[in-house]
Amino acid sequence: MATNAMRALAAWALAAVVFVWAHNHDTQFSMYWAFGLAFGFTLQRGRFCFASAFRDLFLLGHGRNMKGVLLGMAVASVGFGLVMSRQVGMIIEGIYPPAGNVVPLGVHTALGGVLFGVGMVLAGGCASGSLYRMSEGYVASWVAFAGLMGGLLVAAYTWNWWWETSISTGPRLWLPHTLGHPGALVVTLLALAAAYIWVLRVEHRAGMVLPTPPVKSATSTGVADDLRALGRTVFVRGWPVLTAGAVLGGLNVMLFTAQEPWGFTGEVSRWSIGLAGVFGAAPGPLTGADQLPGCVFVPSDGTIFNHMTFLVIAMWLGSFAGALGAGEFKLRVPKQPVRYAQSFGGGVLMGYGAGIAMGCTIGAFFSSIPSLAVNGWVFAIFLALGAWIGTQAISRIA
Amino acid sequence: MAQTLDVRGEICPYPMMRTVSALKKLPEGEKVLEVVTDHAPALDTIPTQAARLGFTTEVEEVGGSEWRILLTRV
Repeated sequence: MATNAMRALAAWALAAVVFVWAHNHDTQFSMYWAFGLAFGFTLQRGRFCFASAFRDLFLLGHGRNMKGVLLGMAVASVGFGLVMSRQVGMIIEGIYPPAGNVVPLGVHTALGGVLFGVGMVLAGGCASGSLYRMSEGYVASWVAFAGLMGGLLVAAYTWNWWWETSISTGPRLWLPHTLGHPGALVVTLLALAAAYIWVLRVEHRAGMVLPTPPVKSATSTGVADDLRALGRTVFVRGWPVLTAGAVLGGLNVMLFTAQEPWGFTGEVSRWSIGLAGVFGAAPGPLTGADQLPGCVFVPSDGTIFNHMTFLVIAMWLGSFAGALGAGEFKLRVPKQPVRYAQSFGGGVLMGYGAGIAMGCTIGAFFSSIPSLAVNGWVFAIFLALGAWIGTQAISRIA
Repeated sequence: MAQTLDVRGEICPYPMMRTVSALKKLPEGEKVLEVVTDHAPALDTIPTQAARLGFTTEVEEVGGSEWRILLTRV
């Protein structure tokens, strides 16, 4: 118990040292570092998992995780709506919020969603899910992340073909253009509510779902006791998924207020492309990629790190600190060889899907629907289809 | 002596899926299945799936992020 706290403190101390160092270099670095820590910690504490949000609906008729995802997007939609209404005061066709995840819609969105959905179920976690599971010691997730990097690279090789065929001509559909700011927000919130009702129906059809048993707490004898209980609630016990969803939605709004919506596969693609470049295998120039917002490919510019590097590494460290504090870090090595193939293959599919759809379950979904962008909804529908296909597949891989 | 299923090291959702298939295969005479897991999300999913198959769940923390789950036929 005490050793867990000590280990977590050591991780937080390291995080603080890097924060100070980064702050002296570039305040962007330290800000993204802090956001990354918060996102990683929250993902780990809430065991927030997009893969299980979709998969468990089909596999078990459980909607617990999906409810957290929907709440998070509802919170973010309100905040994003406010931010974007300040950025784009007058609604004019062709004018978009500079950083909202409104990207061209087309076959690439649908295919990207399906591939990502199949991949995340095969790999047992989406991109962000694999990220925090890596910090919890899941070896299969390390393999999935390697696959993700590989898939992103393959997608980068084919980017120009996709750009010519589908992306360059795809419409960027932003709901406020047709519905106005308030109308777009209301329609988005109603659609999220409708999705929530659908989740309830799925649960009801599957039969009972037992609630997670409540944790008994001793009677408090003072402030010190209360503080200790609070500390356990935050650092040791898992957070309810609704809490985690709301916190992630709130953090996403804060990050957008400061800069841009949450997303990170763009940065991971930069690592893939940069690494390929070391071996002389970098894809050539990616047409149009620098004109699009969101998690689109970031060409390697020769620098080793930028502000997004701090975000991703901090997500690892934040979830690692969370896992240490709760005593949840443990090397978990799958015994069946097939799991490694599954995780790697799933990762590749996710990488390719995220590459052509311009984001993962975070950038193309969790940050796109709140951007009041139609591409977020289309990606979501095909993500669900992919997850369904993936669920059929894993039931056959014992 | 109860049968034991060791699903340590497994990724999501196999701890739950392998538990369900073991419960379905458990001979009528066997009352208890013991599952050993290091996958915390399984603590959320196994009780419901077990209840749907007519088993009650007792979770015991072994420590070091491992749990022993006792599933008893009602």
